[in-house]
Amino acid sequence: DTVLRSADTHPDGYPTVEAVKYMGDLIKQRTNGRYSVEVYHSAQLGEEKDTIEQTQTGVIDLNRASMGPFNGIVPETAVPSLPYMFRSVEQMRHVMDGPIGDDILKAFEAHDLVGLAFYDSGARSFYNTKKDITSIADLKGMKFRVIQSDVFVDMVNALGANATPMAYGEVYSALETGVIDGAENNWPSFESAKHYEVAKHYTTDQHQIVPEVLVMSKASWDKLTPEDQAIVRQAAKDSVVKMRELWDAQEKKSRDLVEKAGVKVSEIDKQPLIDAMKPVYDKYLSTPELKDLAARIQATK
Amino acid sequence: MELWILFGVFTLLMFAGTPIAFCLGAASFGTVLYLGLPPLVVFQQLKSGMSAFSLMAIPFFIFAGDLMVRGGIAQRIVSFAGSLVGHVRGGLGQVNIIAATLFGGISGSAVAEAAAVGGLMIPQMKARGYGADYAVNVTSMAALIALLLPPSQNMIIYSIAGGGKISIADLFTAGILPGLLFAASLMVTAYFVARSRGYPVEQFPGFARVGQLAVIAVPGLLLIGIIFGGVRSGIFTATESSCIAILYALLVTVFVYRSMAWGDFVHATKGAVRTTSMVLLIIGTAASFSWLMAYLKVPVLLIAGMNAISTDPLVVLLLLNVLMLLLGTFMDMGPMIIICTPIFLPLVTHYGVDPVHFGVITILNLGIGLNTPPVGTVQFVACAVGKITVWEAMRSIWPFYGASLVVLGLVTYIPAISLWLPSVFK
Amino acid sequence: MATGSVKSETQPMARVSAVLSRICDGALYLAGIGMVAMTALVAYQVFSRFVLNSSPSWTETSAIMLMNWFIFLGAAVGVRENYHMGFDVLLYVLPKGSKGALRMLSDLIALGFGFGMVWYGCKLVGLTWHTIIPALELPGGFDYLPLVAGGVLICLFSAERIAQRWSGLDIDKDINLEDVPEMPAVQEA
Ligand code: NA
Ligand code: NA
Repeated sequence: DTVLRSADTHPDGYPTVEAVKYMGDLIKQRTNGRYSVEVYHSAQLGEEKDTIEQTQTGVIDLNRASMGPFNGIVPETAVPSLPYMFRSVEQMRHVMDGPIGDDILKAFEAHDLVGLAFYDSGARSFYNTKKDITSIADLKGMKFRVIQSDVFVDMVNALGANATPMAYGEVYSALETGVIDGAENNWPSFESAKHYEVAKHYTTDQHQIVPEVLVMSKASWDKLTPEDQAIVRQAAKDSVVKMRELWDAQEKKSRDLVEKAGVKVSEIDKQPLIDAMKPVYDKYLSTPELKDLAARIQATK
Repeated sequence: MELWILFGVFTLLMFAGTPIAFCLGAASFGTVLYLGLPPLVVFQQLKSGMSAFSLMAIPFFIFAGDLMVRGGIAQRIVSFAGSLVGHVRGGLGQVNIIAATLFGGISGSAVAEAAAVGGLMIPQMKARGYGADYAVNVTSMAALIALLLPPSQNMIIYSIAGGGKISIADLFTAGILPGLLFAASLMVTAYFVARSRGYPVEQFPGFARVGQLAVIAVPGLLLIGIIFGGVRSGIFTATESSCIAILYALLVTVFVYRSMAWGDFVHATKGAVRTTSMVLLIIGTAASFSWLMAYLKVPVLLIAGMNAISTDPLVVLLLLNVLMLLLGTFMDMGPMIIICTPIFLPLVTHYGVDPVHFGVITILNLGIGLNTPPVGTVQFVACAVGKITVWEAMRSIWPFYGASLVVLGLVTYIPAISLWLPSVFK
Repeated sequence: MATGSVKSETQPMARVSAVLSRICDGALYLAGIGMVAMTALVAYQVFSRFVLNSSPSWTETSAIMLMNWFIFLGAAVGVRENYHMGFDVLLYVLPKGSKGALRMLSDLIALGFGFGMVWYGCKLVGLTWHTIIPALELPGGFDYLPLVAGGVLICLFSAERIAQRWSGLDIDKDINLEDVPEMPAVQEA
């Protein structure tokens, strides 16, 4: 009859939220009701940096967070976060489901966390209020809002555009008023933040295809019997399938909605963009271990 | 039981006179200890609750307000307003309101406004035979105009608390008509009270003098256009506009009016640090308190309770207004916005209320709470300037409460008052 | 301000108070410098984006860090100068003896909360010390240092008030409207 509390910054009904609820149902079933999961969605318990610290110290039990906030804690997570590291969503899923994914999950243990599973966050691409972008030359001089992260700043600058780090909450107004020309995100966020109302040009450059992580507090994990630990781990794995189903449906729904609202979607030749990332990789793959991990990812079909 | 500890400790300490920040902090700390959770979460939320970039609007607008007072921008606006409406019955009351309206267009904080306009007007009013209670009440109510007219730090806080998806530029625009309506209702009320008390009129100084005072006030008033234009056209964000207000105030007072000495600057800085840290410490501990409310599922309970009463949007808005007025008597505005918005906004949008419209309702409603004891920051400031107690002010504030409630009703049930102007700017 | 006049029989306490008074002044000055520096940083951010057409990634994070410092320092100064806003109405009607007891309770609460800020602040520093603040390349623990510093000062200042009241100094004014916030002088334009 223990309730495992889980944090998520996404709203109720979002694929990650629903997947964790699904996992909770499985756990409840398989432990005969001894354990259940309660999801605190919509960042009720704080932003990801906060909830990660809460998970590490056992304030809450489970946490679904994006990879970015872990980069400063678990160095291995920085590699899949690098721009253009994965060629496609399929390749990303293949890599993270395999031994490379398991290695990264294990790396969380040294930081009071137990890595349970990787979820999808789709592919992030650029959108803007000005024009269709179909080549790297079109990006030149445009102001894109990025999250407060050096990798994103360096990526955007390496592409010849101007990175403007800005709080998420200011983006809509900033697009509307022209403080920035564009921003970047995946389809569902582009839709839910209503940025498509003001930014009518979307370019599928898929610069970041990064998985999200479901972690458990080491303190909560250690309270489970080995049998229950196995149940939790398996339920988490099972929820990934559910998550991807929901994600793909959500992505299609969002894309259809914004296209219907008049957003023009452009394709772009990705190779020149990937080539422009050389200095970025040199900067962030700072140790032989990280270089090796990147090479293994890229070598996976 | 957890909820009893959380709210019980808060209420008991509050009545014991413990500073609000520590009431919120101690109640959260105690509840977390009772729950057996690691208490560090209280202090994590304390720190992260005051770490949003948008919250910088608070220190910036308070600092800018202090500089405008010390540097003479406020005085010149008051003189100009005096030449315009001083000759009406109870003229200094009208001057107070017009000055507050003009100053409200450059000031983002009601506290700064009460200190600025009240500091100049209340002593003059008392000297001319106005009752101190009248002077204080007109000042404290007129200061609320600054909340509605852009710029407004509280609208920025509302936008963050609402998840950051509400356009601040729209909120700023939406506040203009309600702000002017509120100003008009206060002028009418002030006029009738002044007439019944037989207050004097001032001499009309002649159009030449009005023009001269207008020219003198222009450099300060230009900030209205700079801030509103700057935010709408995208040169800077709303939060950054509060920083621009400081730079502009410095520029005008140092180079145009040449009235800002180094000592004034140091004084203004210290004053702003004191006020800001007091307000933001409350916002920080309110974040810990909110975290516990979320953890204990208070919003879910509240929505369930509300649904049990009614699902009619008109009734829901009425109930929320009453609830916010009640809560607003006990709590300061910033923390209230941070605590209430995440709970109420999903509820009203569920019933089809526009988030921008609800923002204006929230700001006006909780603004009235700044003038209601036991916790009424603006009223405290005005009373302090007028050197009377809150109880003395309360004796004759009722006509002004009446006027604000009428405006609140109009703003609540006629969405166009808020939403028409933003739709024009689209 | 709030420390009142010092009686001759409390000489050691007067010396301690003099030291704390200087610490308090220092904290207020540091906080003021922090606020001015924050203003300059944000102004530079606007200038840089609008005029230089490039946005530095470190300005926002460092401006927030400065804000944390000056809030916690200023909040501690507020404990010594007794300007934190509370609901004083009940104190107004109570007899003097119970009023003193409630004031004592408030200071004990401040002391306890200040202690929590230090103790759990240190734990948070420890927890995040090996992480990295992305835009600044600093250990994550730096985020929580203002919390600890403010906590230390709040403990010192509230302990001082408790000791002063204990030794019979009159440090509690009635609801004193005269020094709620700093008021501007009245000038004719
Ligand atoms: Na205003
Ligand atoms: Na109130």
